[in-house]
Amino acid sequence: MSAPTATPADRGTPQQRRPRQNSEVWSWFFMRISGLVLVFLALVHFSITHILNDVTDTDARFVAERWDNPLWRLFDGALLVLALLHGLNGLRWIIDDYVRSPVKRAATKAVLYSVSFALLAYGTLTIVTFSS
Amino acid sequence: MSAGRGSVYRGRSGQWAFVTHRITGFLVFFFLLLHIIDVSLVSRPDLYDEVHELYGNVVLRLFEVGLLFGLVFHSLNGLRIVMVDFFPGGIRNEKRALSTVLFITIVFTLVGGYVIMKPFIDGRIL
Repeated sequence: MSAPTATPADRGTPQQRRPRQNSEVWSWFFMRISGLVLVFLALVHFSITHILNDVTDTDARFVAERWDNPLWRLFDGALLVLALLHGLNGLRWIIDDYVRSPVKRAATKAVLYSVSFALLAYGTLTIVTFSS
Repeated sequence: MSAGRGSVYRGRSGQWAFVTHRITGFLVFFFLLLHIIDVSLVSRPDLYDEVHELYGNVVLRLFEVGLLFGLVFHSLNGLRIVMVDFFPGGIRNEKRALSTVLFITIVFTLVGGYVIMKPFIDGRIL
C-alpha cells in the first residue's frame, strides 16, 4: 500500500534518478486524495440516511425532495464517481495480488471493469435525468 | 513458522490493519454496486418504495450496522495511511494511530448501531 519505488534496474545517471511518474504512482496518489474527500462525503451521506433519518423514511419522496436541490445532486454525483473509481482501483489491486493466472486475471478484470463502468453510467444517468 | 505456503507475513498489528482495510473496502464496494441499482429505481417511485422497505427489516438493519463499521474503519484507517505516507515521522505514531482508529470505530459503531437498531429494540418492528 505504499508508493511503488524504483528498482535497481531503474537507476540511471544521478540527473535521471528521479521518482518515476508512471500510472501506478498516479493510482497511488488518487487513492489518497479521493479517500480524503470520501471520508467526508461517505460519512455525511451515511449519517443523513441512517442516523439523522430512519432508513424507512428515506423513500422515493425523500429522494425527490433532496434532488430538487442541484447541490445535493452534485454531492451524490461526486460520491458516486469517487467511491466507484476508488473501489474499482482497490479491487484492481486486490486482483493483481491474489489472481495469479494471467487468463483468470484478465477475465476477472474484464468483469470488474464492465460492471463498474456500466453502473457508473447507470448511476450518473439516474442522478442527472431524474425529475419528480 | 516456515516461509512456505500457508504461512503469514508477521507484520503484527499493521498487517491486521492492512487485511481489515482490504476486507472492509471490498465489502463496501459491493454494497455500492447494489446501492446504485436500488437508488436507480427511484424513477419508478412505487417500485423504489417497495424494494426500499426491505432495508427497514431487522436482518438488513444488522447489515447496515456492519456497513457503518466497515465505512468508519476504512475511513479512519485510510487517514492513518495518509498520515504515514504524507507526514514525515508519521510512521512513528502508526501504532497509537491504529489504537485511536479502533477506539473511534467501536464507539461510532455502538452509538450508530443503537440508533439504527432502535425501532427493533423498542419493539416497533420484527
